[in-house]
Amino acid sequence: MKLRQLANWEGALAGLIVVEILIFGAINPSMLSLNVLLYSTSDFIYIGIVALPLTLVIVSGGMDISLGSTIGLSAIAMGVLFKLGLPIELCMFLTICIGALCGLINALLIIYTGVNPLVITLGTMYLYGGSALLLSGMSGATGYEGIGGFPNSFTDIANGMVFGLPFPLFLFIVAIGLLAMILHRSAIGRNLFLIGQNDRVAKYSGIPITSTLCFAYSMVGICAAISGILLVSYFGSARSDLGISFLMPAITAVVLGGANIYGGAGSIFGTALAALLVGYMQQGLQMVGVPNQISSALSGGLLIIVVVARSIVSHRDVLLDKWSRILSTYQLAKETK
Amino acid sequence: MLSFIKNNRESTVLIAILILFLFISLADSNYFHIQTLTMVFSSAQVLILLAIGASMVMLTRNIDVSVGSTMGLSAVAVATALNAGFPLPIAVLIALCVGAACGFLNGVLVAIGKIPAIVATLGTLGLFRGLMLLWTGGKWIEGLPNSIKNLSSSDFLGISYFGWIIVLITAGFAFMLTKTHFGRNFYAVGDNLQGARQLGVKVDMTRIIAFTLNGTMAAMAGIVFTSQIGFVPNTTGNGLEMKAIAACVLGGVSLLGGVGTVIGAVLGAFFLTQIDSVLVLMRLPAWWNDFIAGLVLLSVLVFDGRLRISIEKAIKAQRYARFRADATNENDDKPESSSSISTGAKGRELL
Repeated sequence: MKLRQLANWEGALAGLIVVEILIFGAINPSMLSLNVLLYSTSDFIYIGIVALPLTLVIVSGGMDISLGSTIGLSAIAMGVLFKLGLPIELCMFLTICIGALCGLINALLIIYTGVNPLVITLGTMYLYGGSALLLSGMSGATGYEGIGGFPNSFTDIANGMVFGLPFPLFLFIVAIGLLAMILHRSAIGRNLFLIGQNDRVAKYSGIPITSTLCFAYSMVGICAAISGILLVSYFGSARSDLGISFLMPAITAVVLGGANIYGGAGSIFGTALAALLVGYMQQGLQMVGVPNQISSALSGGLLIIVVVARSIVSHRDVLLDKWSRILSTYQLAKETK
Repeated sequence: MLSFIKNNRESTVLIAILILFLFISLADSNYFHIQTLTMVFSSAQVLILLAIGASMVMLTRNIDVSVGSTMGLSAVAVATALNAGFPLPIAVLIALCVGAACGFLNGVLVAIGKIPAIVATLGTLGLFRGLMLLWTGGKWIEGLPNSIKNLSSSDFLGISYFGWIIVLITAGFAFMLTKTHFGRNFYAVGDNLQGARQLGVKVDMTRIIAFTLNGTMAAMAGIVFTSQIGFVPNTTGNGLEMKAIAACVLGGVSLLGGVGTVIGAVLGAFFLTQIDSVLVLMRLPAWWNDFIAGLVLLSVLVFDGRLRISIEKAIKAQRYARFRADATNENDDKPESSSSISTGAKGRELL
């Protein structure tokens, strides 16, 4: 039953993407070309790359709002490490380690203090964002230029093609496969769902909460670092403010994708489709000529409408009951007259 | 000591503020002046208003991440109304109504739409920001009349008119939340929703009112912001929602609802702003700000969390002390258990 509901929801999301692309295509036919559809993903797919592991965290009943800052920190760390003269592969490896460390710190603090994850990651959001600014300031990179001068072999990464797909999109698909296996087909995934349903029961039934949560948050950190590296490679310069704008769309994608913000439900495929929906919306609005700013209003509106619709569907019994009660009191009042 | 910090969160933050003040004064004697405090207060005003609003919402066990956008929208409202020739009171009223409407929408979505607060306000964050940019076309609003700027520049006893209004607002909220029936409802709803409902509190109404008040305070913050800097940039309020929540958490308002005071939130906001100003005085570059703010916030959270865990443990240990007394005869962890019993007594004292 539950599975069918989710499948239905994913089907609805896929339908929405098609409708969306067709609407934008009707206004601006160039949107419909396959090349545009493929290549435009390089502008927004980072939302998806961080939204996927965020699904794991939200399924476990947690939250991570520090991921935007983690992207910025890893981007600037990439630049600083490169400036130190390390080989580019080592830079990338160390950057991913920094990302994983950020996630691990989040998880350990949450477990150690027992404070609401939203608040802890609010603190680390400032800490990581501040560290990114600190690094960029100390390395002498001015705010909006960042650290540049990367070799072509590095900037080609994000612009390259694998199996006819742009590399970021390819990575996204690999991540879907990997994380879907983890969340829906492995013991870790089952544990995440159980922790999200009821963490006390999970604890009493001997589920390794600490290591499971550390894994989920580290995945967010690693994926944030990967998107940081991709963004540096895509723009050709490392800046500390690269990731901030991906936080809200990523959370939107997870929620739109059917995850319960209180934990215990969610699906990787739903998140992936919702990330594409949000991303193509931004892209399509830009191509139609709607200014960037208004697209934020529309995606905010979309989130509200979808969530209200879902809420109405899931509470329909209560609503029907209320409605019939209102009707009956109305009729009673009529009769007594 | 621990129980003092736990029970007197406001005084703890106040002491932290004073220590920071004295500490810096020792390093730089120019800093030691009452004027410094009023200066910090004037730059903290926007954050203080947002923190008051956020604490109302957090008391009812909700969260509002849309206040930054609400503030921007209201700032645009007051600026547009003034430039259209409306007198100042009317323009302020319009802005407050805009803010209240934004908050009301949030409240309805959360209380009646049954959408988790963070999701609903995340949506309205984008929605209000977009509306604001749609309204202005993404341009800055400049050339505001002097009437509004004067409200922040002219002062009485070193504090601007808006400063005094904010002091009054704080006092009003503090009185309402501690002394009136209406104010206690917010605590009841946040502490135990079902219990509050069964006691006859109108829980939906209370939550909607909390969000509406939050929106109104955000609008007030927008007005103060406009009056302080004299124009409205298109990024007004960006990122302030998180800072307001941080100020509340620092001041002891719990995200789990039902715990905290407005005074604490105000002091938290003041402390956060003071850190910024201290960094300026110590001639540290601005890029240290977020890093230090994050460190302070995290250490407060870690301290708070550990404190709560140890108190909970102590209470539990005390509750089961009877059973453990037999066990300690056999086990060799006697010193540990006796110490936990003694902290258990402490834990009861705390309650």
